[in-house]
Amino acid sequence: MSQALVSLTIDGVEVTVPVGTKIVDAAKQAGIEIPVFCYHPKLESVGMCRQCLVEIGRPKIDRSTRKIVRDKNGDPVIEFGPKLETSCTTPVGEGWVVLVNSERAIEGRRQVIELILTSHPLDCPICDKGGECPLQNMTMAHGPGKSRFLYEDKMHLAKHVPLGDLIFLDRERCIQCARCIRFQTEIVDDPVIAFSERGRKLEIVTLSEPGFASYFSGNTTDICPVGALTTADFRFGARPWELNATASICPHCAVGCNTMLNTRREARSQGRVVIKRVMPRQNEAVNEIWLCDKGRFAHHFASSEERLARPVIKLKRRGRLTATTWENAVKFVVEGLQAAHGAVLGIAGGRASNEDLYALHRLMDGLGGRAVLHDQMAGGEFVQQAGVGPGTNLADLGSGDCILVVASDLHEEAPIWWLRVKQAAERGAKLIVANARPTRLDAHATHILRYDYGVAAHMILGMLHEINHQKELDQYASAETKKVAKVVSKANNVVVFYGSEGLDYAASHDLAQNCATLLAASGHVGRANNGLVAVWTHSNTQGAWDMGVHPEPGGLAAALKGQKAAYVVAADPAGDEPLLTSLLEQVDFLIVQGLFLTETALAADVVLPAQSFVERDGTYTNGMRRVQRFFPAIAPNEGMRADWEILSAVAAAMGIDSARPSAAAVMQDIAAKNRDYSEVNYPALSRNASQWPHVGGKDIYFGGTAHPNHQGLGVQLTPRVERQKDISFDWAAPRKIAHKPRYLMVPITKLYDRGTTVVQSQVLGPRLEILRLYVNPEDAERLGMIDEGEVEVQWDGRKQRLRSVIDEHVPSGAVLVPRSLGVPLATAVDVKIRPIAL
Amino acid sequence: MAEHILLRHRDIPDIHELDVYLSNGGFDALKLVVQKKTPQDVIDIVRESGLRGRGGAGFPAGVKWGFLPQGVFPRYVVANADESEPGTFKDREIMERNPFQFLEGVAICSYAAQAKLAYIYCRGEFWDLAHELESHIAELRKEKLLGRKLFGKDFSLDIRVHLGAGAYICGEETALLESMEGKLGQPRLRPPFPAAEGLYGQPTVVNNVETLTNVPPIINRGANWYNSIGTKESTGPKVFSLSGNVERPGNYELPLGTTFRKLIFEHGGGIPNGRSIKAILPAGASAPILPATKKVLDTGMDYESLRKIGSDLGSGSVIVVDDSVNIAWLAQKITSFFKHESCGKCTPCREGTYWMSRIFENLENGKATSEDIDLLDSVAQSIVGKCLCALGDFAAAQVVSDIARFRSDFDARAKDGK
Amino acid sequence: MFAVELARGMWTTLKSMFEEPVTYQYPEVKRPVRPRFKGRHVLARYKNGLERCIGCALCAAACPASAIFVEASENIDRRRFSPGERYASTYEINLLRCIFCGFCEDACPTEAIVLEHNYEMSFTSRRDAIYTKERLIVPVPPGGDPTPMIVPPGSFDRAIPEMEDPD
Repeated sequence: MSQALVSLTIDGVEVTVPVGTKIVDAAKQAGIEIPVFCYHPKLESVGMCRQCLVEIGRPKIDRSTRKIVRDKNGDPVIEFGPKLETSCTTPVGEGWVVLVNSERAIEGRRQVIELILTSHPLDCPICDKGGECPLQNMTMAHGPGKSRFLYEDKMHLAKHVPLGDLIFLDRERCIQCARCIRFQTEIVDDPVIAFSERGRKLEIVTLSEPGFASYFSGNTTDICPVGALTTADFRFGARPWELNATASICPHCAVGCNTMLNTRREARSQGRVVIKRVMPRQNEAVNEIWLCDKGRFAHHFASSEERLARPVIKLKRRGRLTATTWENAVKFVVEGLQAAHGAVLGIAGGRASNEDLYALHRLMDGLGGRAVLHDQMAGGEFVQQAGVGPGTNLADLGSGDCILVVASDLHEEAPIWWLRVKQAAERGAKLIVANARPTRLDAHATHILRYDYGVAAHMILGMLHEINHQKELDQYASAETKKVAKVVSKANNVVVFYGSEGLDYAASHDLAQNCATLLAASGHVGRANNGLVAVWTHSNTQGAWDMGVHPEPGGLAAALKGQKAAYVVAADPAGDEPLLTSLLEQVDFLIVQGLFLTETALAADVVLPAQSFVERDGTYTNGMRRVQRFFPAIAPNEGMRADWEILSAVAAAMGIDSARPSAAAVMQDIAAKNRDYSEVNYPALSRNASQWPHVGGKDIYFGGTAHPNHQGLGVQLTPRVERQKDISFDWAAPRKIAHKPRYLMVPITKLYDRGTTVVQSQVLGPRLEILRLYVNPEDAERLGMIDEGEVEVQWDGRKQRLRSVIDEHVPSGAVLVPRSLGVPLATAVDVKIRPIAL
Repeated sequence: MAEHILLRHRDIPDIHELDVYLSNGGFDALKLVVQKKTPQDVIDIVRESGLRGRGGAGFPAGVKWGFLPQGVFPRYVVANADESEPGTFKDREIMERNPFQFLEGVAICSYAAQAKLAYIYCRGEFWDLAHELESHIAELRKEKLLGRKLFGKDFSLDIRVHLGAGAYICGEETALLESMEGKLGQPRLRPPFPAAEGLYGQPTVVNNVETLTNVPPIINRGANWYNSIGTKESTGPKVFSLSGNVERPGNYELPLGTTFRKLIFEHGGGIPNGRSIKAILPAGASAPILPATKKVLDTGMDYESLRKIGSDLGSGSVIVVDDSVNIAWLAQKITSFFKHESCGKCTPCREGTYWMSRIFENLENGKATSEDIDLLDSVAQSIVGKCLCALGDFAAAQVVSDIARFRSDFDARAKDGK
Repeated sequence: MFAVELARGMWTTLKSMFEEPVTYQYPEVKRPVRPRFKGRHVLARYKNGLERCIGCALCAAACPASAIFVEASENIDRRRFSPGERYASTYEINLLRCIFCGFCEDACPTEAIVLEHNYEMSFTSRRDAIYTKERLIVPVPPGGDPTPMIVPPGSFDRAIPEMEDPD
């Protein structure tokens, strides 16, 4: 993309920038600071605060000839306007002369800041923003030392206004810059806050019920240029200068947002160092400078009182867990594993890091067993082959490009991807949303496709038909798939996000395969901004696939058959599926490694306390196959070990491998063994590049308080098609749907579920989903159900009573139940529903 | 003046009835343009006539219409009937008494702009007038002067009336558009100007009621007839709203360029109670005050002449101030008006009007010193030229001019005053 | 010659026996200090009993010896410690670290921390050297109420720099 360039002079510095660049940004690129409040590089400029006033001189143009007037030396004559102009709203012009630090401009800005301060309470000592406050910095740099405004004349307004459960507003501190309102409206399309009243009474109010209902509300506190917006989590928690900052990766979903953990010693936690807040860390290719509220607020599980702190073992038949030393525990584990004679199954969760998963795989390999992933979604191998190429950035997608989202509710499953996909659609990318039910993303879609739960893969076949014209696929083609397939094949770049809503392992495998085939057939693999992205349910599921740990097609129950020992790492299969409890108990020797005494841990012979992601280092591979590193932020309790460390110690004790000294060393092993990871090592993961816009640091007022990235942007893996030319893709033979069940109960993902990593954060308590069964109105009528009535659902010989909600968005024949709220449902099942008479 | 062009009801009292209007040549101009002229012809005629916006800025109407981008539809015409300037009551009289000439003007403008829908944005307090306009529009629909395929040609038009919610700032054209879209009445950033991106992001012509009322006579009698009235650059007749300390306040339709002296003393009957004239507010609250010197009184009321003597014609609402009035008191009234009406979008206006108003209160309560007057002046100076729209500038320029031209009135109210 | 010197010396000795001693019989007698003496810190209260400290931690930021640890919490009207929204829920000074420079006093926006005249600080353990808020805060003045107090909503809702001594 070549863009027309414009040259201008800012304070004597010659600057050349693309057409349309705002003067304020051009100046920033030249290293000249223009103070701003309402301007934010990610938002449309509004020119409200008037802080960025500069003098602009334009070449004088002769009215009759329309030519630039030149002086005796042939230089253009520059004319300055009578007024100062806002540099945030004015795009650059050729040959302009901008004076930022002229006497007149400085005086103008000094006057504006004096006016802003007339309403400001100046309660910096008790303000959470104090110390990282743009207004404070700007007052120090540009403001008057003393106010001419009478102190008694200051407005007294409410200082404690909960806009919702998560965000508090201080009306006195607010300078009406509307950054928060504009963020909610422009960036995340949740216009739930707005101005009310006018003049000096202008105030921010929330329009939603419950207040400030948005998954992105925390970001408004980052971009607020004063301390008007604070989070319920961090309010009065600490002064910014007292905090330590450690780079990390959000462990909650497959996006892999870059975060910064701000820690401090805390008296009410008995003097332990705890996480005080989670801040976004800039990575323009992943999360830009944003973070969803789950990532921001659901960090309390790491400092939970319920964490396991010492290894415990259970001597057979006695049934009581007793604490022991690590030495004994490892010895006990070794004995147990030896007794299994290779009939060992490793079970890992998608939350484990690459190092842990590799170590587990290595140990199981050495023992003659195997390691499987506790998950229901398939297709990791297709992402390895046809994933998005290095250099991919959703921000580059726009007009002429296409994004297909299938079988996923991105807004609930991966909010930051939802946000970035939505923005790509707003830039003109064609967005195809295919799901069995309407989702939030439909509002931004150019094409919406509906299918019956379970046959998502068939719909992709219909699209494929339009490209390869194979006869067998005739039956899947329709007018709609035809239209959409044209869009896909015509697009310059295509990214496909596939999820697993309503799909079991086999169905999601077919979906992934068909999506990869579609991409390959239309020539959209093997380069940047093209390829397949899996919307995994966990932060490192892709990493697990890459480490050779994937789900058992027949499920864990099948995998456990005939096993004498099982080694569970970072997973709670019994908690997710109570039917597995007895199977796990039947195993002679069960080792569980984790943070909490889960259902699975209760059935175990040995429970080993693991370090959480805040206490150790490691890497996650996100859904776009970007490997990113997190760092230890908190000194772990002595009794806890990193997962890889324990596994490595066990492997060493069994003579399988020598113990590894560090996570970095494990990564070296991975790089040596795994061709995809051959370029990956910790120094490479820490590599940086300058990013736009500037945030944090000296520029706090420009981009907000999000942290700049000094700790590494990670490495995006190269998909195998780029290396191996012999990879070919073929569509999966369509499965016959045996019968159309009367009612299919489908687990759907909600952002705020009641999983162990979320419920520990009390601040999110009021926002957690409530367990409800969502039913289509027609089905409800047929079944004689009422809204908020009680029903009994039966499946697989199980029964559960649930409250039902009638919802027109539910497709007929299906009932929806959110995951992780109490119904142990991994995948869609046939159910019988019986309303219970009151 | 012999003939009224805008206030035609003064010559023909029943012209607010459609049949009377029609029998006096009503809608001939619309018929003429729809049947015989292209939209561009209309724009050219209006441009040649030199008609300038009567809302305050005085921007040439024809030029404004010519800014509409080619080929972008739909387009809208909005008549700005949010007449809220203190001392201005001309649009109201036109709409009440000579409504069909105004509506015909809207229709011709819509034809020129190729808009199928025109809106009249009435200030909130004009609710009864809005109802009347609606019934007039219903009559026009009945008479097939509005609707589909007018005069057998491919031109369709409907006019709707939108009632504001009582904000002065909604008289500013972009705030007006925001308000019409159901949003908070705050001005937009310009550019883009409404001609390019106006109502719902579409090309929109926004013109004042009086401006549009000028259009039918221009079409009927031609541009040359029109620009023979008034001065060279400020052409045509203008309705001046005369109020304040004057014997006969009211609307006076006079050619642009008529002197203050003529308006106030000849038409307005001079200053009552044997008082003498002290100052003139030539454009309600929105233009700097003028001391009533001989030079000022002999200045013609047109856009150029008033700018030359440091003020503005604005909407032509002349408020006469006699020698019993303290200008500081007047300035306080005006400032408190602007404080109340500031939309709050930009800092200088939101904070500055509040601050100035506080200083004025102290001045009124005898708490302020002459240093506070200096402070007031300095605050006002720091607002000037820094606001998003004109409101803040008007508020500050008023105070600056009041202090500069009548400092002794302020000092008289100061604690340590002479 | 020698005798003269001896006698002179003895005279000096004798004379000093009748002079008032410059030493104090500490701890029976305590040496008075100058008004600006910097002794052990106290946390002051307003007349009505509310704590002056608002937990802003500027003292901790100013402290060159990192002797001060502050943790703040939010006031509510039913449980009010100090004016405004914020109060120090934890306030600790490690007097082994403190160098009595008084920077904390200078930094304090509410004159809450004052280096008083008490210089009697001796500890038998490191733990004892850490003065907690309970040990630092002055007793409730006569007529005042102990904190936390229940106050009518809307009273004392501002801290800086509004809060003069409230009635």
